[in-house]
Amino acid sequence: MTGSNRLAGLRARPKDESVHQTKIVDAVGEAHGFLDRTPRRKPGRKPSPRTYQIHPKIMPEIGDAIAGEAERLGITQGALIEIMWRSYSERK
Amino acid sequence: MPVIVMASPKGGVGKSTCAVLLATEFARMNAEVTVLDCDPNHSLTRWASRNIPPGIRLVSDVGRSEIVQTIKRADGDGKIVIVDLEGVASQLVSRAISQADLVIVPMQATALDAEIGSEALALVREEEDALGRTIRHAVVLTKTSAAIKSRVQKDLESQLQSEGIDLIQPSLVSRAAFSELFAYGGDLTSMLENKEMTTGGKVDKALENARGFAEAVYDRLK
Repeated sequence: MTGSNRLAGLRARPKDESVHQTKIVDAVGEAHGFLDRTPRRKPGRKPSPRTYQIHPKIMPEIGDAIAGEAERLGITQGALIEIMWRSYSERK
Repeated sequence: MPVIVMASPKGGVGKSTCAVLLATEFARMNAEVTVLDCDPNHSLTRWASRNIPPGIRLVSDVGRSEIVQTIKRADGDGKIVIVDLEGVASQLVSRAISQADLVIVPMQATALDAEIGSEALALVREEEDALGRTIRHAVVLTKTSAAIKSRVQKDLESQLQSEGIDLIQPSLVSRAAFSELFAYGGDLTSMLENKEMTTGGKVDKALENARGFAEAVYDRLK
């Protein structure tokens, strides 16, 4: 092939891209095993982003203090709350 | 300008290689080429990310729901659209074929490739009947031997011809340069001129083969 644009002589050919035609094409494809293989999304509600908030009723500075102490001790906030509960129960 | 679709439900037959060779050769002829990468392996996107030659525009991640409209937007006078499809039997493939002016079915000269590739040919014929228009289609044998034509290849060629299937000649020979295109990006001409690119193969022979292939495809688009 040369550098000259011989392809310029080729023209765009109109094609039917209607929804009706697409349905026909899909049906023909399915008959030959050409199926819709689009990956399905996982069903259900997406998990909410983590806020690391213990409870909506806990004041933010207390929540932050609990989170910081749990991190310092290397345990989860739930484990720290269990310790706090035992301490509270003993005092009661 | 024409829409050329590379179709085969089998992976690894050379669809992406054919797409790159045609895109680069047509771009070299000053055509405005749009390549649609519909393959989840993103072979063409990887090639283009390394070095995309001037005159070629790449559209990645084209799915089933967008394929028809994406082809329509890219098509037009002075433009050529090349669609590289995934190697599975999907509605994405059947929808792309419905918009094609030429469907190329690459296959290696093996019984398995021929059997699976024939499913794409059957689909094209069925779509022709359903849509009431001719969709030109042709087979190209890929990864053939440069030295000798194997008995299997001879048998397959005669079988395709006896069934009236258009066979593109020349076949695409197994060349290291074709594989290296995906490592370096760009085209074979730049690979031939750049001495720093090492392919371990004969780039000039690969270029000659690619040009012969592109000429044969061009003849089918007239």
